[in-house]
Amino acid sequence: MIISFKLNNEAVTITTDPMRRLLDVLREDMKMKSVKESCGEGECGACTVMLGNKPVTSCLVNIAQVEGKEVLTAEAISETPIGKLLIDCFEETNAVQCGFCFTGFLVSCWHYLTTNPVDDVDAIKHAISGNICRCTGYVKIIEAMQLACRRINEGAIS
Amino acid sequence: MKSQRRKDAFAKLTGKCRFLDDYSPPETLHGYLVYTTIDRGWIRKINFPAGFDINEFTIVSESDIPGKNIVPEPVNDQPFMTGDIVEHFGQVVLGIAHPDKEILKNFISQVNIEYEKRDAVTDTKECLDNEKYQFGETMHLKHKSPNTMNFRHFLKWQQIFYTQHQEQAYLEPQGMLAEYDREIEEMKITGTMQCPFFVKTAVENILGTAVKNVVVETSEGIGGAFGGKEDFPNLLAGITALLAWKAKKPVKIVLDRKDDLLITTNRHPSRVDINAIVNTKTHQISKIDIDYRIDAGGFQTLSPVVLHRGILHATGVYNIAEVVIKGALHHSNTPSNGAFRGFGAPQAIFAIESYIDTLAQKLGISPLKLRENNILRKGDQFPSSQLVKEDHINDCLQRIAKISEYEQKLKDFTEYNKHNRTKKGIGIALGLHGGGYTGNGEKQLNSKVKITVENTGDVNIYVANVEMGQGAHTTLTQMVNSVLKLPAEKVNVIVPNTSKTPNSGPTVASRTIYIVGALLQKLAERIKFELGFIDLQKYIEENRESFPMTFEETFMPDPADAFDDKTNQGVAYHDFSLAACVVEISYEPDLYQIKLEKCWNVLDIGKVINDSIARGQVYGGVVQALGWAVSEDIYKKGYPRLSGFTDYTLPAALDIPEMTVEFIHTDSKVAKGLGEIPMNYPAPAVRNALLMATGITIDELPLTPEKIYAQVKRGKL
Repeated sequence: MIISFKLNNEAVTITTDPMRRLLDVLREDMKMKSVKESCGEGECGACTVMLGNKPVTSCLVNIAQVEGKEVLTAEAISETPIGKLLIDCFEETNAVQCGFCFTGFLVSCWHYLTTNPVDDVDAIKHAISGNICRCTGYVKIIEAMQLACRRINEGAIS
Repeated sequence: MKSQRRKDAFAKLTGKCRFLDDYSPPETLHGYLVYTTIDRGWIRKINFPAGFDINEFTIVSESDIPGKNIVPEPVNDQPFMTGDIVEHFGQVVLGIAHPDKEILKNFISQVNIEYEKRDAVTDTKECLDNEKYQFGETMHLKHKSPNTMNFRHFLKWQQIFYTQHQEQAYLEPQGMLAEYDREIEEMKITGTMQCPFFVKTAVENILGTAVKNVVVETSEGIGGAFGGKEDFPNLLAGITALLAWKAKKPVKIVLDRKDDLLITTNRHPSRVDINAIVNTKTHQISKIDIDYRIDAGGFQTLSPVVLHRGILHATGVYNIAEVVIKGALHHSNTPSNGAFRGFGAPQAIFAIESYIDTLAQKLGISPLKLRENNILRKGDQFPSSQLVKEDHINDCLQRIAKISEYEQKLKDFTEYNKHNRTKKGIGIALGLHGGGYTGNGEKQLNSKVKITVENTGDVNIYVANVEMGQGAHTTLTQMVNSVLKLPAEKVNVIVPNTSKTPNSGPTVASRTIYIVGALLQKLAERIKFELGFIDLQKYIEENRESFPMTFEETFMPDPADAFDDKTNQGVAYHDFSLAACVVEISYEPDLYQIKLEKCWNVLDIGKVINDSIARGQVYGGVVQALGWAVSEDIYKKGYPRLSGFTDYTLPAALDIPEMTVEFIHTDSKVAKGLGEIPMNYPAPAVRNALLMATGITIDELPLTPEKIYAQVKRGKL
């Protein structure tokens, strides 16, 4: 099946089995290595990417479902103004540990910051509740997110 | 002061850091493991599916092993692959490789093994309650202080505590890449692991003289380990190497999450029976008998070392005049258990800290007061007769009591609970963890480190200790740079590789900063002394022709640290890290559910090198311990077993309490062990909070609604 979609702001067309997981197409065909496989059943969020305007676990999406849509991975998100600000906050708080889950967190957190960056611990916890991290206990991720919210609300992004 | 930023964060956030599955040399074959699916018995026949060209597959079984079919461990009893005897579920029978992942998966799913089953013991309690399942030697630890006891007023109380398996749940599954260079007969292993030199020995074992040389390098990123990548990588690397040797092509095995959950090592389940005598007037515990047992699983592997640490932590932070501890390994037909953060200590501390609260309840005094009366103080002795040099346990206790307002809340919550259906609880626990290998272990490891000073002004650190998320590689550079004082970006740890890196020992036992970091700092001091510089950068600029230079240092144990492995008397650990914790919960009686509200932690880890990295370790370890306390459980009894993370309740962001972490005595010269202690103490604090809130005594983890419900229905409050 021929499938066309936008990947990190560039049009792509591929011929592949429509039932292949978006995760596999991104990692194997598109070499988007930021997308990580950890649980393979949508529990952990390590393979989170933006599909249209929603974060999704790419292990649960078939490539056929991506036809005509836009996909953003951490490779592109890390280049955006809010992505850069978020990375700086993660670095400043030393929130990253093993880092395997963090490209997934980057996508979920970026979605929160680009839609409604409220400095509220509960709201942030909800926004990252689909991402599992085994190293950090989430405390510093939340700390980094609060810092990012404050900076955005103080006008750090014009 | 702001902490130095981690060196690895940017690459990890942007996806540039390569984890094992991101390595794909040309022509790499995908590998899979076929493992046993019964608990005990014999393999009678293996049937390969029809409809495939069998010649396209590389298949290895135990009969292909040119070297020894034994995974090197403290006890050499586990084979890489089994022939026809099945000791437990998840024993590897075959390694299979193929260029196409989908074809391989399809093939593997149709491989059929015919078995003849035998009776098996898979239930943890059945295994631990029966002495007939003991294997290996019983360990003993006895101590009697010269103080005379007043036995006129005493209470004798016995209680048995159980803990369950725990899955490390590192987010990056186990994975290994093997590349065989036929020209030079060298096997190169790249993998996600904690101990590159262990893996090297394992591959040398399985391949024997079939290859000339084995080189092991870790992947750039190691996606979490927590002990889970201490010994299983030995087995995985061995089989991956065997496949690559046979196929004459690179082979990569990355475990599916399901396989990772089912066949890799977990935390040992435990049964700890405590029987103590307490003076009802002085509230001092005068005698304690502890029977500490852990379920090793199918093979002993490294379990005796876990058992050893367990018995040496069994009396926790308490000073007890007469101590009798017995430690035993038990055998069950389940996958061998292995290393997991804490390594026998969390099980021991769960028991003793829970016991203390039950005792306080029996005596009708505050759990804080009972602790104050019994903690080890300066001049006291551990059961190994090791002298307590400082009063830091009390300092942790006093500080936690103050910042959590423990005594006030104990009163307030007791009053609140009289008038409200929803209950509030507060629980306290103390913990300790001995840094580095037990007893003579560090002496035997004989760790070596290397630093090179390049003519570019770069300083490269060569150690075998890996960066698996704990922040070690950033923190180690800070320790070296505290002496050399170069710009931070000039000092780096090189990715461990057994052909370039000296053996500074495994990345385990909270030893990386404590032992290896201290050794590096000593070496940095020597470099400074030998070169006689004040400003290294300037010195290099002026003497460029004399560089690069290489410096090495070997660990020297404190000559006063004698330990007798037979009697377990002497200095068990040169330094103990200490901690105190208070957990506040609410309890919903209609749902039988605990909600974790707040968690305070006070730790004495000595000198703190990087405050925010150290805090990250505490937060992460505490949440891992809270998961073990309230939700994480692997049902190994019968079928179906775990099929993925869906069946294993890991803490998510919404499950965590509000957390406070304080470090005390940070002016110390020594940076003590940190990695494991946060795992050791939170679970009993939760259990004690539930006891305080409801009177429900559950002595078995995890404290799930199902277990609380069962206890309430039994009327055993």
